Amino acid sequence: MIDWLAFVSVFVAALVSACIAVTLFSLGLRFGDGEAAWRRPVSVMMFVLCAAAVLLGIYIIVGDHLMVLFAR
Amino acid sequence: MDPLILVALVIALALFFDFTNGFHDTANAMATPIATGALRPKVAVAIAAVLNLVGAFLSTEVAKTISGGLIREGDGGVQITPVLILAGLIGAIVWNLVTWLLGLPSSSSHALFGGLIGAAVVGAGFAAIDGGVLISKILIPAVLAPITAGVVSYLATKLAYRLTRKRERDGFKRGQVFTSSLVSLAHGTNDAQKTMGVITLTLIAAGFQDVGSGPALWVISACALAIALGTYSGGWRIIRTMGRGITEVEPAQGFAAESATTATILASSHLGFALSTTQVASGSVIGTGIGRKGASVRWRTAGRIALGWLITIPAAGVIGALAALLAGTGTAGIVAVVVLALAAITAIFLWARRNRVDHRNLHQPEPGVFVRPKKRKARR
Repeated sequence: MIDWLAFVSVFVAALVSACIAVTLFSLGLRFGDGEAAWRRPVSVMMFVLCAAAVLLGIYIIVGDHLMVLFAR
Repeated sequence: MDPLILVALVIALALFFDFTNGFHDTANAMATPIATGALRPKVAVAIAAVLNLVGAFLSTEVAKTISGGLIREGDGGVQITPVLILAGLIGAIVWNLVTWLLGLPSSSSHALFGGLIGAAVVGAGFAAIDGGVLISKILIPAVLAPITAGVVSYLATKLAYRLTRKRERDGFKRGQVFTSSLVSLAHGTNDAQKTMGVITLTLIAAGFQDVGSGPALWVISACALAIALGTYSGGWRIIRTMGRGITEVEPAQGFAAESATTATILASSHLGFALSTTQVASGSVIGTGIGRKGASVRWRTAGRIALGWLITIPAAGVIGALAALLAGTGTAGIVAVVVLALAAITAIFLWARRNRVDHRNLHQPEPGVFVRPKKRKARR
């Protein structure tokens, strides 16, 4: 039978992670557009956090596989 | 028939299936960045090809059963023979090419399952199919995948438009490069494995490899190369449907849709609820079309895609069953099946040339077109 708990976990995890990535990138663009001196570092910080989220995605894809390969 | 020749035929067909899988699924990752102009078409497919190649080498765990439990294999069940695998592969390849010709993004995994089911039914009857697995692992996820991705993509699109102003939204193109690359990498780690599994099981079934052993390096390399070549050749018809056919995609929508696709695929493969990449990507594009104010979804196209999903397993199954029926008659039957399959493949490619779609006739927007202010009507 179908594992509904696993499906709900997938839905929530996908929703939260996609919204976090989009929010961070959007705020990076928003703060990068303006004259005030404080906006640029905040924009950079948003992009860095978004990049960290992407790196986490890459780790999720390849991390386990790399560990298996290096453990041989 | 000499087992060596039969095994060589199955390997050749498996690699061709891998190739069709590659060009069928390029659109999942690259349709929206091409549609928004974030990447030029040839650059996009080159990136996808390299990441699929890398992904195929990273993942070496091969599924114990090529059918994922759908067909009752092993002791007391169906003895999957190279002839049945050959018939199943023919069903999958022909259906993949038909849906490519129609520009429909359908699941290559479902086509493979369908082909194998058809072949197994001819070989051992309907009792060979585990109905519970068919419902819980194929049919229900096929409904849930586009809905999940669609809802996630819809909300992500709303967020992207709420948080940014029009003049800032061209920046999403840079983000699209990363999100689409992630989808390609994830695709490479998953999809090349199926063919590795098919070839390894064929070698084991024919006695050329020890039982319980993993794929040989040449199998991994050949599968990686086949899926990468397929990806690079670009399924332009499906890219056109996904990028422009369902809805007009802007950079912010593309970024939101790709983020939703990536997040859903990663969450599904790591939380034990496998979803089809194609169905997730299509759902994301529909979700982003609903999420942008002023955008419209072409429901007629979406309906055609859904119909394609619905008939993929039965259609590939019928072709696989007919192939198994003919191949089961002996050597002459196997030769006839392969000749007929080659004729069908050639006919589909020749038919496709009558209305050629490639990177040259894909519409790409001019730079800055999405952030240009609308012209106001002059006052008299």
